[in-house]
Amino acid sequence: MDYFFHILIIALVYTVFALSLNLELGYTGLYNFGHVAFFGIGAYTSALLSLAGFPVALSMVGGMALAGMTGALLALPALRLSGDYFGIATLAFGEMVRLFFLNERWLTKGPMGLPGIPRPFGIQAGVSGLPLYLILCILLTLAVFLAAYRITHSPFGRALKVVREDEFVAQALGKNVFSLKVRIVAVGSLLAGLAGALYGHYITYISPSDFTLNETILVLLCVVLGGRGTQWGPVLGSFLIVFFQEFLRFLPIPVDFGRVVAPIQGMVYGAVLILLMLKRPEGIVPEYKV
Amino acid sequence: MADYYAQLLLNGVVAGAIYALFAVGLTMVYGVFRFINFAHGELIAWGAYLTLMFSQVLPFALAVVPSMMLVILLGIGQDRYIYKPLRQRGRITLLIASIGLSYLLRNALRLIWGSDLQTYGFEAARGLSFANFIITRTQLAMVAAAVVFLGVLYGLLKFTMMGKSLRAAADNMDLAEIMGINMRRIGLTVWTLSALFASAGGVLIGMDTNLEPMMGLTNLLKAFAAVLLGGAGNIWGALVGGLFIGVVENLGVAFFSPGYKDAIAFAVIILILLFRPTGLFSIIGGMR
Repeated sequence: MDYFFHILIIALVYTVFALSLNLELGYTGLYNFGHVAFFGIGAYTSALLSLAGFPVALSMVGGMALAGMTGALLALPALRLSGDYFGIATLAFGEMVRLFFLNERWLTKGPMGLPGIPRPFGIQAGVSGLPLYLILCILLTLAVFLAAYRITHSPFGRALKVVREDEFVAQALGKNVFSLKVRIVAVGSLLAGLAGALYGHYITYISPSDFTLNETILVLLCVVLGGRGTQWGPVLGSFLIVFFQEFLRFLPIPVDFGRVVAPIQGMVYGAVLILLMLKRPEGIVPEYKV
Repeated sequence: MADYYAQLLLNGVVAGAIYALFAVGLTMVYGVFRFINFAHGELIAWGAYLTLMFSQVLPFALAVVPSMMLVILLGIGQDRYIYKPLRQRGRITLLIASIGLSYLLRNALRLIWGSDLQTYGFEAARGLSFANFIITRTQLAMVAAAVVFLGVLYGLLKFTMMGKSLRAAADNMDLAEIMGINMRRIGLTVWTLSALFASAGGVLIGMDTNLEPMMGLTNLLKAFAAVLLGGAGNIWGALVGGLFIGVVENLGVAFFSPGYKDAIAFAVIILILLFRPTGLFSIIGGMR
């Protein structure tokens, strides 16, 4: 049962992460390939603040705020580029942030990572705190889900979709395309920061190897598999991917082959991304077109 | 002290020559097909690893040949079976597919050869010294190979019919096709050259340092920086951009912690995007 709780918590963290990416990738058509940077910033900021003695809830807000601000700061220059270049810039940014975590030992302890991150609201570390942490995750995921719903179903959200389909049309309609994009990247990064903080306070130990390009690919897969630009797609995608990942642990794989499981898993993810693009680019839940 | 900086400069030029090889291939694909191939880095890594495999049965110089051919097949194959069917679907589909492909190829590499560092097992050779500089034979080979490859490319683009049609296609694909240029041949040539340069550079980097599964990604990001510096699609811009990245990166070691060596290329990317999104050398004419 505890193990089931654990899977659910991870799935919910990824749901929040995927929902935040979906706002940028799905609704606005911004190819953010460095989204893990904001996940990491949220996790590290929140962990460092809470280890310095601040209340955990406040630390998490701090993590979100810093992730959101960094997102806006990155977006200001990066959004002057179109499409592919934005992808490169964000990819490079993601790697830079990881190198920062790895090299600034005075702050992040480098590759040793940060152990002993407290859980919020006095929830105990270890197995006994699982049900309460699960409830916290459900509440926060629900809040993020509703927030994403509100954003995408508001006039602001519809304007984002216009930007995705045709920037010139959006301009002709009198929308400030640049400002729309900066705002959605800020919101997306803020929510990714929340996902990161949730992750860090749950696992209670983070290190730079938790925030690599692999996580970006994984969350990209969650969004694309579930359905870009849909409300339920990222949720479904995240649950499918996380459950698939955990299910693999139960396969009777001989110990000798343990080494090959991770690469094969990676190959499967890569192949799924390619096949999806070739056969069903809209994902499992297709976007409702008016 | 001046010697120290001059040595770093020399190292930078050597590294930059290889980055130029990667960047030229990447920018050529962009010039013709208008999309950035995220799987380009994996061609680099596969070139290096396949050579490692063949060098166990063949002498090293011969082992390079089949591995390059396989990488070229890989380059042509990825276009034929993945990118071509997606070309009409919009750029985001292409980008996601190429990211997926790079992930697939990188993990296949880890599956076959493991994640540990590997080397070609050359004996450590004493560097040759000229005046006060030290340069290893491998480094000389790197520069020589880059000069040969890029020289051949220059001749090809400048003096042959193929090169002319390539430049035409880069300028405007549809118009080139209307004029009766065979786009299939153009595509094949571009992928062949791009894969050839990538695998050659991968082998040279493997000779100079070592082989690891992430080498594709690291070098891809540097090639990106070089491409952006030169202005996307501009071959000679990418060449200069590659040299620039190599030099800045190596000189940077004198001022920052070496842990940030890779970050310098990223910083260049961000700075370029900030101040000169069309690239520094966009005035110099090239392929486009």
